Amino acid sequence: VEKAIKEKKKIVFTGHSSGGAIAILTTVWFLEHYLKPGKTLMSPLCVTFGSPLVGDFIFNHALIRENWSNFFLHFVMRYDIVPRILLASLSTVGQELDLILKLLSQKAMFPIQGSVREASTFYTSVMRNASAVASHAACRLMGNTNPILETVASFIELSPYRPCGTFVFLPGHGKLVVVKNADAILQLLFYSAQLCSENQLNAVAERSLNDHLGYPSELQGCLNWQNVVQLDHLEGLPLSSSGAAAGNIATNIALDDLGLSTRARLCLRAAGEHEKQKLSNQQRMDNKRQEIELGLAKLEEYKSKSALCKVGYYDAFRISKYEDDFKANVTRLELTGIWDEIIEMLNRYELPEPFESRKDWIELATKYRRIVEPLDIANYYRHAKNEDTGSYMYKGRPRRYKYTQRWREHGLRMPVGSSAESCFWAEVEELLLLYRTADPGAFEVIRERTINLERKLDEWIRSNQISNDVFLKGSTFTKWWITLPIQHKSVSPIQGQINSEI
Amino acid sequence: IADLIGKVKSIVITGQCIGGTTASLSALFLLCHLLSLSVYPPMSVLCITFGSPLVGNEALHRSIRRQRWGENFCHVVSKHDIMPRLLLAEIVNHIPHIQALLQFWHCCMASPHLPVAGLSSQVSNDLKHILFHSVLKDLELLTQADDPSESLFWPFGSYVFCCQEGAICVENVASIMKMMHLMMATASPNQSIEDHLKYGDYVAKVSRQFLQARNFEEGIPDSSYEAGVALALQSSDLTDKESVAAMAKECLQMAQHSDKPNLNAANLAIKLSKIVPYRAEIEWYKACCDEADDQMGYYDSFKLTGASRREGRVNIDRIRLAQFWNTVIQMLESNKLPHDFDRRGKWVNASHFYKLLVEPLDIADYYRTGMHRERGHYIEHGRERRYEVFDKWWREKSVPEEENKRSKFASLTQDSCFWAKVEEAKEWLDNVRSERDAMKQQQLWHKIDNFEAYARQLIYNKEVSKDVLAKNSSFSRWMEEWKEMKSQVQQITPLFPGFVDGK
Repeated sequence: VEKAIKEKKKIVFTGHSSGGAIAILTTVWFLEHYLKPGKTLMSPLCVTFGSPLVGDFIFNHALIRENWSNFFLHFVMRYDIVPRILLASLSTVGQELDLILKLLSQKAMFPIQGSVREASTFYTSVMRNASAVASHAACRLMGNTNPILETVASFIELSPYRPCGTFVFLPGHGKLVVVKNADAILQLLFYSAQLCSENQLNAVAERSLNDHLGYPSELQGCLNWQNVVQLDHLEGLPLSSSGAAAGNIATNIALDDLGLSTRARLCLRAAGEHEKQKLSNQQRMDNKRQEIELGLAKLEEYKSKSALCKVGYYDAFRISKYEDDFKANVTRLELTGIWDEIIEMLNRYELPEPFESRKDWIELATKYRRIVEPLDIANYYRHAKNEDTGSYMYKGRPRRYKYTQRWREHGLRMPVGSSAESCFWAEVEELLLLYRTADPGAFEVIRERTINLERKLDEWIRSNQISNDVFLKGSTFTKWWITLPIQHKSVSPIQGQINSEI
Repeated sequence: IADLIGKVKSIVITGQCIGGTTASLSALFLLCHLLSLSVYPPMSVLCITFGSPLVGNEALHRSIRRQRWGENFCHVVSKHDIMPRLLLAEIVNHIPHIQALLQFWHCCMASPHLPVAGLSSQVSNDLKHILFHSVLKDLELLTQADDPSESLFWPFGSYVFCCQEGAICVENVASIMKMMHLMMATASPNQSIEDHLKYGDYVAKVSRQFLQARNFEEGIPDSSYEAGVALALQSSDLTDKESVAAMAKECLQMAQHSDKPNLNAANLAIKLSKIVPYRAEIEWYKACCDEADDQMGYYDSFKLTGASRREGRVNIDRIRLAQFWNTVIQMLESNKLPHDFDRRGKWVNASHFYKLLVEPLDIADYYRTGMHRERGHYIEHGRERRYEVFDKWWREKSVPEEENKRSKFASLTQDSCFWAKVEEAKEWLDNVRSERDAMKQQQLWHKIDNFEAYARQLIYNKEVSKDVLAKNSSFSRWMEEWKEMKSQVQQITPLFPGFVDGK
């Protein structure tokens, strides 16, 4: 791989069957190791044939978030059983699995004497499991509210495996159907392998094994890529072959080719609607950006006003004596509401996957965190919530700050926990509490932490991540720092800055 | 069953016919038992019944709903089966017929190798006819009435109606009753009795339906919603008779207009952030009162000043917050919110903070307007239900926090009813002077002493906010009066020997 990179070649990782699974994992390894932001590198390609599923929905979510999803292309013959196997639990298919895997590895075509029964049993078991997984997912997509759904789901082993990347289904006769929506792919994996009639069972079971070995011959016929249909705008798919508003004839034919029933098409529509809903939620949040900016501007103003009084906005808010402080509190709470809504949506996967890696949102979130988190910390310690609940960093820190800090760290490939400039004051408050007594030995307790803090503070001030109002004469930080032992102060990196303020 | 608790993660309880009612009752017993034990990790319970008669009335339905146990029950009813419908009808006159029927079914199930048709002659055609038509007629009357509460028996949990074509699952009570009627209306008396024995067949059939792609025969509507309804009708085999199909369609559409708990919770979260400025204003008011010259604290300021502009605004905020939280409770109790809503940290903490901050003002308002003279004291007679619910949520918080020693007074008094207790203590103090009856007087002294001890304890643990100790607060002034009264009593101790030793 390194050689190929040096020679600036485009790398394609590929594999059939379990080789496909290895190819997927290798590609992810490659992307994590070699694709750094800012570095130009030829993006890799991963092409698999009849590969089993590799990850769960979080794996898929992460791939899309990193914008890597487009590098993965998975070919699946219509009835090929292998991509569906991991939708079943081992306990339900274990008995036949060994034999089936042995048969597949022999690479002979069927029928093989005496295996039809096992093939049919295997196919039925896998499909039964796939049906449970697909219908549970579809119920969620369609917003089913019957409480018995979750009770029943907790009694059954539902496979956590989900598709990722782009799937290309091969219904036969040189046709190709391309699908990107992961929810839709899951439904298709089940519905496209259904029987037309009960008596087809043995034939289809046989086919489910033969298809796994049929990639070379099938794809030979597709090389000119004439018959490609992209399935998108899923929410508007026709529900029957004679679909009245048959806008797209090609789509219609593709759906028929895959043998999709009415129910299947409804599920695909639901997948499309869900994606549309995520995009519309994102639009709604984008529209709130202006409101956020306005709120932040008000707090910037409050900050500069406080700096004029030699006290700094952290302390002004901590004391909260004047109407300006009350107004700042209202603004703080309004912004909290907006960000909490965003966090809730992220937790329920109601925003598109790439949202957390959008540069504009990371910037806005970082700005928000740097201006507003100090006020949250001031509020926390002002009401002595550390005595009710525990220290801010361990018990009190809201998720909206934890998440947005991770956004920045992940986006810039910083070590976890390093972008902690917004919780500077929390550490100060804790050090303050530990250093209450004026005994000579008191400093030893906090020496390590203080040195660390000063070093980081110096960096943050230099890189403008924290403003120098922390050094104002009336600031809690300054007032505490002055009381530290002289030996420590004289070698501190920040003593120059403090002395210039006092 | 009790033996299994703690050893088993999940349990499925099942039964057919009367066995179904036994299963339902056993499951209810188990759920109640688990509730009282608060087992962790929680044991999952699922009760599946087949052709079971109804078990309880409307009150049972509502209790099960409130505990959110409906999600543990799944009642399978075959399309024409008369048994589950029996108790929706007036059957008082048909008891002997029903007994004959039960015997017949028992025979059939005991000898499954014999064809049902053969045994069927054991039950007279007349009997079948009478019973069938009587039940059908009553069902029709029932479902035509506007609200189903006419019936003595009510269904609970989810119902799965199955037939040759498939199955549909319905949860809404009116829809369940309507479906019971419509599906039976397309049957013959014989069918309605034989269907009771067909559960094995139906379950086997429905269990294999996933394998086959089924297309919709006639034209399918293009709207997803209509298509869904059409598919449901197909699965319940109600597409033949026009009139029945139309009514079934209406019934299913009615069933689908149920609430979306997660959406409701999300909208509530948005509303919560919108009312936060009102809460902030009240916090600000308290802080101002704490610093004010009159040193009364916000409880007394609000109680005495009442109509001034500042208090007017605070009053509006108070009322708006009350409306919001009342709505939250109402939605939770009518099952419009997710099950674990009252265990979610966000809501438990927000409601607790609201209660500690605002209940004192509600108490102030109560005593200012003299409600206690009309209705009685706040704690027993005036307290709004929402506060009791919030007490419960807070008590049931899963994580017990470590007891930290406070270094300064809490920002909010941790007993939100503290001021109501002060008001009661004030009354006791007033009464103890004028009380003639020695027994009653002793009781009053005792109550006052207890209150003082309680208050001192709170103060010692710094669980009160500093407004309690403000110089001119009701509490401070009460303490002064009490001290004075005690010193007076000590001067005339000989007359009250029982109260000598520093009481």
